[in-house]
Order: sequence, then structure tokens, then C-alpha cells
Amino acid sequence: MNDIHIKGVHEAFFVPTVNFDSKTGVCELEGESYLEETIKFYTPLFAWIKEYTETVKGPLKFNFRLSYFNTSSSKCLVDILDMLKKYQKSGGEVEVNWYYDDSEEELEEVEDFILETGLDINIIPISEVEE
Amino acid sequence: MAKKKENYDFSLFEYHNLMNQNILVSYKGPIDERIMTVIGENILLVTEEGSGKTKNKIFKVFMELAQNVWLYSAESCKLENGKSLGMGTLVVGEYGDYYTFVTGNVVHNTDIVPVIEKCETINSLDRDSLREYRREQRRLANEGKPNSGNIGLIQVALTAESPLDIELTPVNDDESFFSIAVKISKDNYKNS
Repeated sequence: MNDIHIKGVHEAFFVPTVNFDSKTGVCELEGESYLEETIKFYTPLFAWIKEYTETVKGPLKFNFRLSYFNTSSSKCLVDILDMLKKYQKSGGEVEVNWYYDDSEEELEEVEDFILETGLDINIIPISEVEE
Repeated sequence: MAKKKENYDFSLFEYHNLMNQNILVSYKGPIDERIMTVIGENILLVTEEGSGKTKNKIFKVFMELAQNVWLYSAESCKLENGKSLGMGTLVVGEYGDYYTFVTGNVVHNTDIVPVIEKCETINSLDRDSLREYRREQRRLANEGKPNSGNIGLIQVALTAESPLDIELTPVNDDESFFSIAVKISKDNYKNS
């Protein structure tokens, strides 16, 4: 199956950078998410996850590094997390890392994503990451 | 195209004075994504006393409230491509240790009742209940339930850590001017 590579853009709308790798199962979503047509943007990402979890059935590692996302985007993020939870329940190997920028509010929101979806998410402060 | 003075029916000087020194940014007109991004980033420049976290909050609040004006204003201007843009007013003020962000637009009286009810619900909840309300509303939206989904106002209250100060002023029998104001303190990051 194909990979997804989308380069982030910061113009009138903000497009996040997307790198979904079907060989490794490593999926990165980073930057800012504020889109003209949010669902239209995320639909191919949902389709990719569906295909991967139904055909490749390998491990999935999701790394979120989103510095800004609006509420419409948050609904799609929850949809992604729901799909990962469903895959995990059916026996799939899933790891989710959420890198956040030392903001209490973002921490709360990710905690709420965990409560909303029942999925375990590793919450990692960016300040602890050395690259 | 030189404008004659008698073509003005208002005093720009009075307007300027009305927008007194506490007002950092004001805009009235059609709102689209271009305007939102430009003004949103401009606000970050003028709110210089705010910390990085405060600026992030202002930007998040701005984007949600301005988008509501854009989408729900009863006044709109038609574009050549057939799209229409909502008209409204956006104001950022600075008062001592906090910023105030106010948005306003004309609404149809028939549409505004659920919005006011939502604001009142939001204002009655403590932070934990507000987070629960956001989870519940987002869940309903994702299940495709009608009349749910707008969690922008809940997000605004959570981000600003402020109640939504709403005001409704009748314009005529069918329409009113609706405004929402929130306070954002200059450094409201809690270390707890």
C-alpha cells in the first residue's frame, strides 16, 4: 500500500505535516491543523489507517506533535484515536505518543482524549526530548 | 475617485476616540480565513506584555470566536464566486493585567436562543465539568448527532479560563446584535 506524505503549510489555513509509512507503521502528524475543509483533509488519513489495519495488520506507532489545532480538527483527531483503539482491541499493536509544549491546557486536552477514546497515550513534554 | 467630505456621515475622529487607548485592535467588516489569519497574527504582535502561553491562548480564542462570526453572522457580503462571508466586529483590548477579546455580529432572533443557552450552560460549569461537557459534545458530534458539534464556545471558555460575557441588543423585530467577550489574563499559567 502507499505511504502518505503531506508537507505542512502555514498560510491563510494551516496544513499539518503528515508522514504515514506503510512499511514501518510509523505515522507522524505534526505542526498546525486549521483547515478549509477539515473532514476532506482527514478522510484519506482515515482511509489509510483502515487499509493498513485491514490488510497490512502490522504494528502502528503514532507520533503527534501538534502545536495548534482548532476544535474541528480535534474531532478528526478523536476519530483517528478511535480507529487505533479499535485496532488495538482486535489484537493490533498500537503505540501512541503525544508530544506537548509544556502547556497545562494541552495536557488536559490529551488527558481528555484518553478518557474519550479509552486509548493509552504516552504524553511526553517536548522539553524532555533531545534530538 | 477623490472623496468629498460631505460624503461622510460620521466623524472618524469620534470613532478614533471611541476606540480609546485600551483598544489594541479593532476590525469591522467581512471575515474570511485570510482576514482571520492576518488579524490573528497581528494580535500576537500587539499583545506584547503577554507571555508565550498567553499569546497562544489569545490566538486559540481568536480563531474560534472569529470563525463563529464568519459562519453564523446574519449579515453577509456576497462574493463574485457565489460564496458569502459573514460580517462582524472583532476587538482586542488591554486592561491592566488582562486582555479582553470581544466579537459581535448580527443574528436572527430565531437562531440565537440555543447559542445563549449553550453560553449559560458553559458559564454554570466548573473546569472539570466543562471538560466533561466538551468530551460529551465532541462524542455526539463524531456520532453525527444533529445540532451538536460546535464545541468552539466550550473551548473558548476552557482556553481563556473565563466565563463568556454575552450581550444581546435588539436591532429590529427579527434581528439582534450578539456579542461575546472573554478575559485572558496576561500570565494565567498555573504551576499546580
